[in-house]
Formats: sequence, C-alpha cells, structure tokens
Amino acid sequence: MSTSPALVVENLTKTYPAKGKAPAVEAVRGLSFSVEAGEFFGLLGPNGAGKSTTLGCITTLVRPTGGRILVAGVDVVAQPIEARRRLAVVPQTRNLDRDLTVREVLTYHGRYFGLPAAEREARADRLMTELQITEKATSKPLTLSGGMQQRVMIARALMHDPRVLLLDEPTTGLDPQARRQLWELLQGLHKRGVTIILTTHYMEEADRLCQRLAIVDHGRILTLDTPDNLKKSLPGGAILDLVARTPQPLLPTLAALAGVVRSERLEDASGDATKERLRLFVDAGDGLLDRVLSVVKSAGADLDHVSLMAPSLEDVYIHLTGKDLRE
Amino acid sequence: MTAFLALLRRDIVVASRNALMLLTASLTQPVLVVLVFGNILPRLHLVSDEFRAVMVPGLMSITMLMAGVQGVLMPLSTDLGGSREVDERLLAPISVLGVSIQKVVAGAIHAGTAGLIALPAMMLLMHKVTGVEVHPRWALLLPGVVLSGLLSASFGLTLGTQVQPRFAGLLFAVVLGPLMLFGCAYYPWMGLAVLGPVKYVFLLNPLVFMSEAMRMAVTPDVPHMPTPLLVGGLVGFTVLFVVLGTRSFARRTIL
Ligand SMILES: Nc1ncnc2c1ncn2[C@@H]1O[C@H](COP(=O)(O)OP(=O)(O)OP(=O)(O)O)[C@@H](O)[C@H]1O
Ligand SMILES: [Mg+2]
Repeated sequence: MSTSPALVVENLTKTYPAKGKAPAVEAVRGLSFSVEAGEFFGLLGPNGAGKSTTLGCITTLVRPTGGRILVAGVDVVAQPIEARRRLAVVPQTRNLDRDLTVREVLTYHGRYFGLPAAEREARADRLMTELQITEKATSKPLTLSGGMQQRVMIARALMHDPRVLLLDEPTTGLDPQARRQLWELLQGLHKRGVTIILTTHYMEEADRLCQRLAIVDHGRILTLDTPDNLKKSLPGGAILDLVARTPQPLLPTLAALAGVVRSERLEDASGDATKERLRLFVDAGDGLLDRVLSVVKSAGADLDHVSLMAPSLEDVYIHLTGKDLRE
Repeated sequence: MTAFLALLRRDIVVASRNALMLLTASLTQPVLVVLVFGNILPRLHLVSDEFRAVMVPGLMSITMLMAGVQGVLMPLSTDLGGSREVDERLLAPISVLGVSIQKVVAGAIHAGTAGLIALPAMMLLMHKVTGVEVHPRWALLLPGVVLSGLLSASFGLTLGTQVQPRFAGLLFAVVLGPLMLFGCAYYPWMGLAVLGPVKYVFLLNPLVFMSEAMRMAVTPDVPHMPTPLLVGGLVGFTVLFVVLGTRSFARRTIL
C-alpha cells in the first residue's frame, strides 16, 4: 500500500465566472493543506469563506480554476471517477433521493458503486444499526427530521467504504442534542480509522473534534494548526475581560501594566458612556490580577465584571480577522 | 457501465412505482382526443375515416413527445433544484456525460412505453375500427418508437437544462403547443404539397419526423415522407439534441 496522504490540496484557486450582471467571484484564492490518513481535519470559517467551494473542488463537483488536488494519491481533475471511488461527501444541503426509502438510498448507492448484492445488503444493515436509523428503514427521507436525514447521509456516504469522508457543516440547523449525538458519532468513526474532513463555523465543534484545523476567510487560510497550538498562539496566553463604570478611561493605564500584552476596548451594547468594556491579552503571571484591580480602585471605578479565562478558538479568530465570527 | 445501469434501474423502479400517475398524465390527452375525433364526431358524420387514419400515428407521436419531454424535465427540476439531488448521481463512479445519457435513455423508455400503450388504447376507443386501416408493422414501429423516444427525451434534456423551472408553463404553451399543431400529427406531410415550398418549413419541427415515422409504421395506406428524409430527420434531431442537452447538462452541474 502507498503511504500517500489521504488528501493533498495545492494552491487551489476557484473563480466563479461572471454571469450577466453578477461579477466574477474569487471564492478560493490559493489554498494549500494536506491531511494524513486517519486524521480528523477541520476547515473553520464564516459564511462565504470558500469552504463549500473547496469541498466541491475536492469532490469533483466544482472545476478548480488552478492548483492540484490528490485524493489518496489520485488527481481529481485527471481521474475524477477514480477519485470518487475514494471519497464520500455529506453535503451542506440535504440531497437524499426523495423517491426511495432510507434503506434503498443506501442499497442504490451501493449499486452505483458496483457492490455485489450480498455485501450491499449486509453493509446497509450494519450502517443502519450503527447510525441508529434502522427503524426508519422504510420511511421516505423527506419525512425524517434534519438530524435523522443527516445520519442517513452519513450512512450513504459510508456505503462504498471511502478513504476520505468530507462533511460540509453537518451540524448546522440541528438542535443541541442532535448536534452532540452527531459529534459522538463522528468521533466513533474517527476512532475506527476513517479520515474525516469537516467544515464548520462553530468554534466549539472545531475545537472538540478536529485534530488540526485551518481557519479560512475570503478564500485563504489564515492559520493552520492544532486547536491547542492555535490558542497558545494568542499574545499572552490568557484573556482578561473587564467591565467597569469609570469616571476616567482605564485602558491606557491598564495597557501599560507589566504582563498585559495587548488590550482592546470592546463595544458596549448599553451605549452607556461611563461603562468601559475591556479585553486584555495577558501573561497571567504572579500578581497580575492584583495590579489590575489596584488600577481600577485608584481610578475610582466600580467594577461590574471581571473574568480571567483561557482563550478559545473564537478569540483566535477575532484576533486574526478583527471580526466576530457569529455576526 | 455498472453505475450507468444502476442509475437506469433506479429511474425505472421509481417510474414504475408511479406508473399509474405517469400514464394518466401521458395518456389522458390522446385518449380523449380519440374519443371525440375518433368516435363521437365520426358518428355525427362530422369527421371522415381518412382523418381518423391520419390522426392515430400523429397522436402516438404527440404522446411520445410529451412523455419524453416531461419524463426528463420533471425529474431534472428536482435534480437541479435547491437540494441538488443530482449530486448523488454525479458522485457515482460515472462520467458526467454518462449521467446525462442515462437521463435520456430513461426518458426514452418512458416515452416509448407511453407510445406503445397509446396505440392499442386509441384503437379500442375508435368507432367501427374496420373503416380505418391501422396495421402496426412491428419491424418499422419498434425502431421508430426507439428513435422517437430518444429524440423526445434529448429534447427534454435540452429544454430542462436551458430553461428555468419557473418558465416550464410558458415552455409548454409557447414551444410544445405550436410544435404539436405544426407537427404533422393531424395531417400527413405529403399532403402539405398544397402549401408549395412552405412544406419545407415544417421540417424545422422535430415532431414532424416522429409523426411521419409512426405513419409509416402503423398506417401503410397513408403516404409518408421519403424514408431517407424521415430517418435523416429523426437521427439528425436526436444527435443535435443529445449534443446540446448533454453539453448544457454538464455546464449546469459541474460549476
Ligand atoms: N455557483 C456559484 N456561482 C457564483 N458564486 C458562487 C457560487 N457558489 C458560491 N459562490 C460564492 O463563492 C464564495 C464562497 O462560497 P462558499 O459557498 O464556498 O462559502 P462557504 O464557506 O461554504 O459559506 P457558507 O458557510 O455560507 O456555506 C461566496 O462569495 C459565494 O457567494
Ligand atoms: Mg458552505
């Protein structure tokens, strides 16, 4: 067996051509990353970042403008059919065949990939059990809840035993419980050795599931590392948020304190001019909190809130892009 | 090839489950037309036997055209619609061309079935069939039905990939309606000699060749257009629409 990576993306670009009055869109502008076999990899980015376009190029449904993609060593542009045998995708929009039953969705997928009858049936049964959709075997997909449909799409994807499983925002639109179940399911698949590539715009999801992740925006990778390393990459290493009513600005004095690496004033929704919301990236060494509190006291300010926390991926994202992912 | 046959099988299985609905959709019109023009009006002596003999192959070709176009057009609108069900097909180990050809073949089977059911249904409904010379000649009918089916289905693929689903109603009114009226379904092309050179304008209408092929196959006594022209037209239009349809299918599906 070759030891080629499960996926290689090199300098991928995609420009959707101008259509009528709509101008051309540079959806992907030079992405490169590679994913090892057995890895759980994430693409994290806001709406319009180019995540689906990237997945489309990998899965042969979007023609790349430039660059090269290898799935388990197979070039997706030169040998699309061979590439398709090695990959499977759970798309962002639910696209189950509405004219078939759940079981048939699986067995027909097996037929498309040329699985012999016995194997097809056995695999469909096993996957339905594993994904807990057996009781829906004879239902039509459109009668199922979003979470159920998502499971059916995952079962369908696994029918032909792909080397790489790609999931495009699989938990968007699911309730918290269904989302948690799906996470467990994906972790289970990963433990069994399936290579997984997932896109998401949920920080918590990326943090919890992915071994490595790329933060993408405007078709470019801003950074790529393990979630822990990404968080460590923030200045300081901890975040101190502070809200106070104050007669004079606190920021300049606080920013000058030893241990404060960077500081920002955050918008306050209340519109109260005397209220100051600050975020300090700090080196949470000895006595830092004391020093901060004494600055607050000597300024004659009323402290409403103070918290010291480890940075989250969201903080990484805000730091890198200067904008809030959830907006 | 495995994927091609599996996709075809899926389409046939799904269509046969909806057989009643699909057949009702395709057959209601020709059956009612036959009932009125083939049964009631002749009894009132308002329609001659000659017209009945001319009308039967014409209605077969109309049935096939409608069934072929709709058989491709309707699934295509879900396929290419918001949920893009077509992606499941495109992700199968088969070329995009293979997927579109498979659609044409499925549509042709649909059209051919409708045409072959329409024929006996119409003959049953005619008043005093004896007066009308309808003699299906199978050796001509089967290839005629196959080619007509492929032509109709590839026409459906061309329309379905070029026209947005919301204009489907308009399409039927302004494209298919006129094609049917000027498709030599209700009059033989040879009879159009009375129009002089204008009869050649009719050759722009693909349905003309389907009607004439059916005419040759089921009503031997009614003169039909010269066979080379007939076969040339059927094959030519089929090739044209297969090329146009598969091309625009590829453009619509692989972004
Ligand atoms: N078929 C298309 N034609 C033209 N532009 C497109 C097309 N598909 C996507 N785009 C544009 O390309 C850019 C990237 O879109 P893409 O769908 O890849 O983003 P995404 O990261 O998946 O976003 P989301 O989180 O909303 O799914 C966007 O600006 C989008 O408008
Ligand atoms: Mg997307």
